[in-house]
Amino acid sequence: MPEEKETGNVSRRAVIMSAAIVPVAAIRSAAAPGATDNAKAPALTPDQLKLVEAFADRLIPKDENGPGASECGAANYIDRQLADYLAPERASFVDGLTATNAYAMKSHGRNFVDLTPEMQDMVLTAIDSGTAEGFANSRAFFTRFRRLTLEGTFSDPYYGGNKNFAGWDMIGYPGPRLAVGPDEQKMNVTIKPVRMSVWGGVKDGH
Amino acid sequence: MAINLKPVDVAVVGLGAAGGVAVLPLAKAGLRVAGIEAGTWMDPHRQYHADEIFNNVRGGVTSVQKANREIPTVRENDKSPTRPRGTIHPMMNAIGGTSIHYWASAWRLKPWDFRTKSETIKRYGAGALPKGSTLEDWPISYDDLEPYYDIIEHEVGVSGKAGNIKGVLDPAGNVYEGPRQRDYPMPPLRGTEYTEHMMAAAKKMGLKPFHGPSAINSQNYNGRPGCVYHGYCGRGGCHISAKNSTAVSTIPAAQKFKNFTITDLAHVTRIGVDANGRASGVTYIKDGKEYFQPAKVVLIASYTYENSRLFLLSKSKAFPNGISNNHGQVGRHFFSHWQGSPVMALFPFNINVWYGTPAQTTVVDDFADDNFDHTGLGFIGGTSISLGTEMHPIEAAAMQTFGMAPQWGSKWKAFVKQNAARWTSSYLQTSTFPYEQNYLDLDPEVKDPLGDPVCRVTNAAMPNEARAAAFGQAKTEDWFRAAGAIEVLRGPAGPGGVSTHAYGGLRMGDNPETSVVDKWGMSHEVPNLGVLGASTMVTSGARNPTLTVQALAWRTAENIVKNWKTISVKG
Repeated sequence: MPEEKETGNVSRRAVIMSAAIVPVAAIRSAAAPGATDNAKAPALTPDQLKLVEAFADRLIPKDENGPGASECGAANYIDRQLADYLAPERASFVDGLTATNAYAMKSHGRNFVDLTPEMQDMVLTAIDSGTAEGFANSRAFFTRFRRLTLEGTFSDPYYGGNKNFAGWDMIGYPGPRLAVGPDEQKMNVTIKPVRMSVWGGVKDGH
Repeated sequence: MAINLKPVDVAVVGLGAAGGVAVLPLAKAGLRVAGIEAGTWMDPHRQYHADEIFNNVRGGVTSVQKANREIPTVRENDKSPTRPRGTIHPMMNAIGGTSIHYWASAWRLKPWDFRTKSETIKRYGAGALPKGSTLEDWPISYDDLEPYYDIIEHEVGVSGKAGNIKGVLDPAGNVYEGPRQRDYPMPPLRGTEYTEHMMAAAKKMGLKPFHGPSAINSQNYNGRPGCVYHGYCGRGGCHISAKNSTAVSTIPAAQKFKNFTITDLAHVTRIGVDANGRASGVTYIKDGKEYFQPAKVVLIASYTYENSRLFLLSKSKAFPNGISNNHGQVGRHFFSHWQGSPVMALFPFNINVWYGTPAQTTVVDDFADDNFDHTGLGFIGGTSISLGTEMHPIEAAAMQTFGMAPQWGSKWKAFVKQNAARWTSSYLQTSTFPYEQNYLDLDPEVKDPLGDPVCRVTNAAMPNEARAAAFGQAKTEDWFRAAGAIEVLRGPAGPGGVSTHAYGGLRMGDNPETSVVDKWGMSHEVPNLGVLGASTMVTSGARNPTLTVQALAWRTAENIVKNWKTISVKG
């Protein structure tokens, strides 16, 4: 017999029960985590969503090189995921948004979304460089916001972003293929893009 | 009370890369083998996807979240605070373990790796040994392990090109490798225009490049197809089972024997000890119930952190500081591979590395091991440089801007649009050694949901490795520039935190004062308790550990079979 004490008491048993290993598949309602579940309530208020769109559009602006981040679905991705897989960080993210707007009001006297692009850039530069006040950690918030904007712009559209595959088109990603031949691994080639979600349901746009 | 199960001959804790190999020779020999695994079977069709968010961002390829609830804490030294704890363990739980989502690079160590201490003293003098190191020679040589490397290459399936068959060198392969009895069972993975471009540049520099070996089929093998290079191999499962995880190779082969059983979704909590100080079996929890599986021989084959942790948790009258720890060696001689330490390169043209796999490589070994004269360099060992394929879209867009553009805004966007398909990184692995100050123990505060302390890693970057890594980075820069890169940039080098390449803690050796297991992987103090995995490795080499882990696992299992009466006898 093992040396471990077999106390058999209720609390020990309760701990064992609570720590049972559950297969991941059994705790996922859908096939993938963070699925685009439009039935789910969004994580952000309309004002917060507008702020996310404006913020993201300064990181990836609409210009001669294509659509901006929000047109690519990045803000939608952030909203959907904060209601789902990223729900544990929703509160801290919203705190960052609140601090962003408060800093815009303090430094420029207007809500962030009402500032000119130049003023918005000044606000974001202050957040990025850590000089903006009112944040728990403004650089960490900026880094996280930027990362989520990249995810929303360049991920499989299943998660709510990369609308019309605009993100993949921007960087020339030829899309998920189940098999790839030698010609598709040559340098300097233009490969016909595959525009589909690997989770199905999305093809050539929403 | 734990429910007592019917005794078996051998209990194997963990059916990953190591345990998943050992069960085959054990089962084949007719022993009653109980494979006890925390995870369960993965479904290639439902759980393996070409999706960067699922695989790489969220670590979705795992069957249960056990590892993520037991992530070790990490600190630099005895006085430094523990770093913020990560949320995703780099290893996964499943039948097949991390061999499901690893890169599948399948290297043999070099003869030098097994005799680093004595070879260093012979060539450079004792003063060249890294200060503070507890380095020893392995108790076995490359020649002792060669037959087992050969078995694994054929049983699991490895693609590659031999560079040294019985002393006859072939420059199409790695001429620095130790002599092998025969070639790989499959040719290397397909080259790409990029890997061939880098191959040509290396040759022009006078280097000896080759395609790295991988446990991925390059053609049909053992009833499974060749790789289709779809570009979601790293941290992803293979949708066509061309990656030779133990879940599709040795475990199914072992299942042909009725004397092998698998218990999945079982969390092993303790190794039992009998009145004679021998291992009596293991306690595990499954479906909220506690079981005890008696066994004549116990093999512990979870990951490096968890192996040492389980030893330390298994306290008894005979072993008050944890099983097999009466010499205070459990958790010692731990080291964490310096891997990654990348050099990023920007080319003025589209290199198109979107697809492929990280194991579809051109590799240079000229600056690894003792393949060059170290006189005056201030370090021993070296760095292998591996250039592979597989780039994902978020990763590509999150690229370094090489000082040529800001991190956001229209200028950033224009830069990324132009360059996302023109940059790549490198994979550098540096010989890493054990030091007195680096070790594993139990965290005094952080516990898993069962209330058991998690593993604590105390690990500082040491100067020998830092110099060897910097040397390798400089050589990588030279290589990229020679191939036409217009910008190169060094990434951070170091041993990392919680790593896929963690070694030691239950080191192999002849001396119980400086090691935990003998040259067969069996405990010095508990002769019917064995260890599988990189826990027992004495040095890292400058290459991925898995093939060595698997060769050692097969060897340990074969030794148990050959000496069954001695090893299994009731004391």
